[in-house]
Amino acid sequence: MNLSFFDQFSSPYLLGIPLILPSLLLPALLLPSPGHRWINNRLSTIQLWLTHLITKQLMTPLNKAGHKWALLLTSLILLLLSINLLGLLPYTFTPTTQLSMNMALALPLWLATLLTGLRNQPSASLGHLLPEGTPTLLIPALILIETTSLLIRPLALGVRLTANLTAGHLLIQLISTATITLLPMMPSISTLTALILFLLTILEVAVAMIQAYVFVLLLSLYLQENI
Amino acid sequence: MPQLNPNPWFSIMLLTWFTFSLLIQPKLLSFTSANNPVNKTMTTKPIPWTWPWT
Repeated sequence: MNLSFFDQFSSPYLLGIPLILPSLLLPALLLPSPGHRWINNRLSTIQLWLTHLITKQLMTPLNKAGHKWALLLTSLILLLLSINLLGLLPYTFTPTTQLSMNMALALPLWLATLLTGLRNQPSASLGHLLPEGTPTLLIPALILIETTSLLIRPLALGVRLTANLTAGHLLIQLISTATITLLPMMPSISTLTALILFLLTILEVAVAMIQAYVFVLLLSLYLQENI
Repeated sequence: MPQLNPNPWFSIMLLTWFTFSLLIQPKLLSFTSANNPVNKTMTTKPIPWTWPWT
């Protein structure tokens, strides 16, 4: 069967064994567990420093009740960061290109923030559906618009991550195919394409980190409104 | 688009939550952070003493 450019995104199977399990487990196994000492090795110390940096950055805008979400949000951003960055290695499968994974993370977590708000402060949560200072005539239309934008949040969250990563990987594959194909015919153009590929890879590293951060940041913002 | 193939959807969703809640979160919880180092200067030099071996 001929491969198309999209086949890199199909869930991998080897001899009928689904490889999605190791591809999800491996990024988690790369984060070391700390040993039973007060001061650990350098890798654990670096990871602890990074965890603290992330947690401080995420928890600063939240009130005291929101700090209960610290473990959830920090582990989410670590998972997404490790999966996104590992996916940039050649011939690896990136689980975050799967819409199923991103929706599985986005929908329950968004719903959790929404239900927290509706349960603890229902009128304040519903009050977000009408911005302050709206002219009276616009109120019905604006409530409809705000409700739609509220309900579309999990979809946007999941699809944003999926689309960004899928598009990046697809671009890398296309440009590298162009580089290889052009090499015997026009080596100078091929070098130019290789330069573009290099710049694109740097961009993809940045996108991998930014998209993970944006996912968790938006979730923390939705939490801020509701907690 | 192979991402829209519904076959592995349930297993991917399940495995994602398993990895997220059963692998990463306990690893993160087991980190204990030490306090920041306190910047206290010693006011008096410690006087050396001999151990009473005898």
